[in-house]
Amino acid sequence: MVKGSKNKFLDFLQFLVILLTAVFILVPIYWIVSGAFKHQVDIFQLKLLFTPTLENFEIIFRSPYNLFDKLVNSTLVALSTILIAIPIATMAAYSFSRFRMKGERLMFVTILATQFVPAVVIVLPFFILFRDLGILDTRLALVLVNLSLVMPFAIWMIKGFIDSIPLDSEEAALVDGSSRFQVILNVTLPMALPGVITAGIFCFILAWNEFLFALIITTNKAVTLPVGLSLFHAEEGVLWHLISAAGIMIMLPMFVLATIIQKHFVQGMTMGAVR
Amino acid sequence: MRDRLLKYFLVFPAIFVVASTAFWPLFQSFYLSFREWKLNRARESRALWDYEYDGLENIAYLFDNYLLALEDDLFWNSVRVTSIFTVTSVLVSVGLALGLALLLAPGGKFRLTVRTLLILPFAMSPALIGVSWRFMFQPDFGLFKAFFDVLIPPLADVDWLGDANLAMIALVGSEVWHWTPYLTLVFIGGLATVPQDAQEAAMIDGANSWRIFCDVTLPSILPVLAVGIVLKTIFSLKMFDQVYMLTNGGPGNATQTLAHYIYFNGFKYYNMGYASAVSYLLVIPMFGLTWLYMKLVFLKR
Repeated sequence: MVKGSKNKFLDFLQFLVILLTAVFILVPIYWIVSGAFKHQVDIFQLKLLFTPTLENFEIIFRSPYNLFDKLVNSTLVALSTILIAIPIATMAAYSFSRFRMKGERLMFVTILATQFVPAVVIVLPFFILFRDLGILDTRLALVLVNLSLVMPFAIWMIKGFIDSIPLDSEEAALVDGSSRFQVILNVTLPMALPGVITAGIFCFILAWNEFLFALIITTNKAVTLPVGLSLFHAEEGVLWHLISAAGIMIMLPMFVLATIIQKHFVQGMTMGAVR
Repeated sequence: MRDRLLKYFLVFPAIFVVASTAFWPLFQSFYLSFREWKLNRARESRALWDYEYDGLENIAYLFDNYLLALEDDLFWNSVRVTSIFTVTSVLVSVGLALGLALLLAPGGKFRLTVRTLLILPFAMSPALIGVSWRFMFQPDFGLFKAFFDVLIPPLADVDWLGDANLAMIALVGSEVWHWTPYLTLVFIGGLATVPQDAQEAAMIDGANSWRIFCDVTLPSILPVLAVGIVLKTIFSLKMFDQVYMLTNGGPGNATQTLAHYIYFNGFKYYNMGYASAVSYLLVIPMFGLTWLYMKLVFLKR
C-alpha cells in the first residue's frame, strides 16, 4: 500500500515537471504572440485581458519600416542559398557515398569541420572583399557568405540519405547499359528526393535565422528580417508591439518547417551521432 | 572507367565552394592578423614587420596584434565572460536536458505532445530570442516584473539587465531556453538505444532506479552525452546573436563575449588586423574542440 501511494505521488511529480517544462517553453513564445496583438498602451499595462488588434501588422508594412522589403530579402536570400548549395551538395554527397577517392575521409571530415568556424572570422575578409567590389548591402553578397553556413550540413545530410538507398537498383540500370550519369538522374535522384528536400528545408531555416552576416554586410537595401528587428527603436523607446509583430513573421514559418522535418532536424545538427 | 573522372567532377564544385567561402576567409584572417589595418584610415593593410628595416631580432613586431590583445584588459574580460557563460550554460542545459530526457522518454500521449514542443525554441532565430528576452526583462512592464510582483515582491523592482551578475544570468537563461529542449531531443534519441533487456534484468535483480541509471543507462548514453556537451560548448564559445540583442555586452562590458569583442573591434572601430588576431585566439581552442567532436562522432564507424 505504502509503495503504491508513493508511486502515485512520483507520477504526479513527473507530470508536474513535464507540465512546467511545456510552460517554460511556451511562455516566451506566447509573450511575443500576445505582444503582437496588443495596442501600444496595453503593452505598458501588463493586462492579461486586452482587446486584440491587427493594427501592428499594418504599421510594420508601412513606411518607415517597410517590413515587406525585409521579408522579400529574407526569402530571396535563403531561397537562392539553398538553390545554389543543394545541387552542389547533392553531387558531392553522391560521390562521397558511392565512390572511393584518394583522401576521401580527410576531405569529408574537413568539409564537415568548417561548420564550427566562428561566423565573425568568416565575415571579416568577406566584408573587405565586398567593400572593394562595391557589393556591400546586396542580396548577392549575403548569399555568397551564407553558402559557408549551409554547405557542410547539406553535404552531410544528403550523403546520409543516399547511403540508405540500396545499390541494387543502380547496378541493374548500369547492367542495362545506362551511363552513370543517366543512373544518377533517373534512378538515384528520384529515390533521394525526399532527403534532398529535407536537407533543403533544414538549410533554409539556417539561412533564414542567420544574423551576424546580415548585420555586417547589409545596411539598408538588403536588410533581412532578423536584422530588421533593430529598426523599431523610436525616441520614446523600444516599440515592443511592432517588434513582436515582426517576430511572429520570423518565427512562425520556421516553426512550421521545423515541425515538418522534426526528426531530421535533430539529426542534422549532431551529424547522426544520434539516430 | 569513366567513373574515375566523374567522381572528382562531382565533388569539385562543393570543394570549390567550401574552399572559397570557409578556407579562404580563414587564411585571409590569419594573414591579416599579422598586419595593421584601420579600415577607416587606410585603403590598404600595412606590414607590422619589415625584415630589411627591423632586422631579424625584432621579429616579435610581427605579433604586435596578438601582444596587444594579451595586454588588453578588455580582451581578458571577454575571455572571462565567455568562459563563465560557456561553463554555466553547458552545465545547466546539459543537466536539465538529461533529466527531461529521462522524464519524457517513456512515451504516452501527454509526453509525446510535450515532445513536439521541444523543437520550437531551436527553430527560432537567436536574434529574436535575444530581443524577446530583453522584452521580458524590461524593468517597468516586462514579464518577469509581473511574475515577481505576484510571487516574490522583493524581486519585482530588480533591473535585471542593469546589473552585471543578473545580466549574465539573463543571458545564460536565454541560452538555456534555446538549447535545453533541443538537447533533450538528442538525449531522448540516445536513450532509445539503451538495451531494454539489461534494464529489465537489473530490475529483476532488485536494483533501484538510481542503480539502474548509473550502471546501465548512463554508460550506454555516454557517447551521445559527450557529443551533446562538445557541440554545446562549441556553440557557446562563438555565441553572438543573443549577446548583441539582449545585453549588447553590457552593462559596461559585463557580458561582452569574445565574439562580441571581435565584432566591436572589427566593425565599430574598423581595426581589422587586431580583430583578426583576436579571432584566431578564438579559432585555436575551436580547432581542438572540433577535432574532439569529429573523433566522438566518427569513433564508432
